[in-house]
Amino acid sequence: MNFLQDFATYLEFQSAELIQATIEHAGLVLVSIAIATVIGVGLGVAVYQTDRPAKISLAVVGTMLTIPSFALFGLLTEPFGLGATAAVIALVMYGLLPIVRNTVVGLRSVDPAVIESATGMGMNRWQRLARIELPLAWPIIITGVRVSTVITVGIAAIAAIINGPGLGKDIFRALARIGSPFAVYQALAPVLGIIFLGILFDVFFLVLRRLTTSRGLR
Amino acid sequence: MTDETNARGAQGDNQVMIRLERLEKRYPGQERPAVAELTMEIPEGEIVILVGPSGCGKTTTLKMINRVIEPTSGRILLEGDDVTNADPDKLRRRMGYVIQQIGLFPHMTIAQNIALVPGLLNWDKRRIDLRVDELLDLVGMDPSDYRNRYPKELSGGQRQRVGVARALSADPPVMLMDEPFGAIDPITRDRLQNEFLRLQEEIKKTIVFVTHDIDEAIKMGDRIAILREESSIAQYDKPEHILSNPADSFVEDFIGRGASLKGLNLQRVRDVEFAHWPTANHTATRGEVLEALRRSDQGAVLLLDEQRRPRRWVDARDLDRTDKPLVETGLRPEAIVTGATTLLDTLNEMLKSRVACAIVADDSGAYVGAVDIDTIMESIQSMRAAAREQSRLLAGAEIGEVSS
Ligand SMILES: Nc1ncnc2c1ncn2[C@@H]1O[C@H](COP(=O)(O)OP(=O)(O)OP(=O)(O)O)[C@@H](O)[C@H]1O
Ligand SMILES: [Mg+2]
Repeated sequence: MNFLQDFATYLEFQSAELIQATIEHAGLVLVSIAIATVIGVGLGVAVYQTDRPAKISLAVVGTMLTIPSFALFGLLTEPFGLGATAAVIALVMYGLLPIVRNTVVGLRSVDPAVIESATGMGMNRWQRLARIELPLAWPIIITGVRVSTVITVGIAAIAAIINGPGLGKDIFRALARIGSPFAVYQALAPVLGIIFLGILFDVFFLVLRRLTTSRGLR
Repeated sequence: MTDETNARGAQGDNQVMIRLERLEKRYPGQERPAVAELTMEIPEGEIVILVGPSGCGKTTTLKMINRVIEPTSGRILLEGDDVTNADPDKLRRRMGYVIQQIGLFPHMTIAQNIALVPGLLNWDKRRIDLRVDELLDLVGMDPSDYRNRYPKELSGGQRQRVGVARALSADPPVMLMDEPFGAIDPITRDRLQNEFLRLQEEIKKTIVFVTHDIDEAIKMGDRIAILREESSIAQYDKPEHILSNPADSFVEDFIGRGASLKGLNLQRVRDVEFAHWPTANHTATRGEVLEALRRSDQGAVLLLDEQRRPRRWVDARDLDRTDKPLVETGLRPEAIVTGATTLLDTLNEMLKSRVACAIVADDSGAYVGAVDIDTIMESIQSMRAAAREQSRLLAGAEIGEVSS
């Protein structure tokens, strides 16, 4: 009981800063995901019709996900310095795999008969892509974006070690002061914020998927 | 037969719409070509059927016409223009395309599916809307009911009709159809075939139609090309000539036994003489009906409603019964056909409902006359006689050629 009361007092006391950090965190994730979506869908579109380039691209973006995040953030400070830029680049790299993979899978799952009739009607490659293939692959692609966002919300906390924005800063501060009375609260508050953001984005993309998917596909 | 007559399909008077010249397709990594040096002319306004055993190259041939498959060599001429190297997308907009799997766009409504090509051609919105409704009407689907549905909300037969409507959307002069009725149950297929023939009487397109079903070929074709391996033409001719005079044993085997019964697919109800039965209004008194029966030499009277649609067959015995109103006695009329029904379908109708006489009705369902089973039998006999006569003449001609 005591713990909860103290934690509540802490939250009240820190609320302005926590809200600020949560907004920054969400902003960092959204910017990174927006960039990852553009690059990921673009890459997926570029390679889905071919066998080897698709495999190679997936292997490369898959490998990015295996680089330990501390190491990657650290490496990126070399060319980009400390701060948001390096953080965004790292998060884009982590976010690519689900988006590229789902774009390739989604575009490949379009019924060949549908593509053939589109071609036979005189649609060129771009018309076909924009009006037929992407809309049909869309539910799968947006699911990739959703997975990617949820992964990124967690990893974004580590951006704090290179002075990036977001909820990670408080976590690292708390870690530096382990043992002191407020350290637990200081770590717990941003963790809860991250969980909250994760759920929020998850629900957001579920709703977005529902709203943007044709009734004919449901 | 020379190659040139083979290519023409025993000429009619229509202009050539499509000409294929020494068209060839070799798929990479295959020893033999799928289509070898095919030369063939397709006359304007006719349904030309490509029929042949599985794998003989029908689909490959059809898809080379709109260059969904690019030919390895040879030329394609459309209305006299060489389109072998023209912009394929422009070429394809001059040809409607219907495939067996239909390939409707599942994320678009029926109206959006049909409106797609006119949209690509930048028609204005009002014109597109009118066209969509016109086409849905044309294929027998109520626009207000179907316009905003999605493909998954339609039956297989309805999807097929939308596929045809979509292919017709920009009013192309040519339609290419690859087994369009292949994946549909026999009863629906039969109905769609009949509807399509009626539609073609209105739209008069040049149609290339692929099937592997010889019965469908005979029913639908103004001209049939029977193909063997590598799309080589075994015979290209009007269906009645193919039936009565197969070019060789391959064609003979392919059209199979019962060729004269198949000939019934070529004749339609409107081509034969109708029998006439006495009729009376369904509200007529027993006395009036009895009078009508006495005046004719037939054994029954057909009761018609106000729109002259058949309601009931009644005979003298039914007239004697007084326990029920007259329209509830007698027999419900079955085997009702129209002028466009083939004699084979008419015969089937009669056999199905076990009657010796089919009622002929017009489009609104009003009584026009009747066809007796004897009339159909006579048709079979005269067709047989004509076939015998023709093959005797042709045999004579060939002997003449050899001796000269
Ligand atoms: N994409 C392809 N690659 C290689 N060979 C092919 C390809 N498509 C068709 N073929 C071959 O070409 C030949 C003709 O095929 P096609 O599909 O034109 O036959 P079809 O007459 O339409 O047969 P079906 O009645 O079974 O549809 C076949 O031997 C087939 O195996
Ligand atoms: Mg085929």
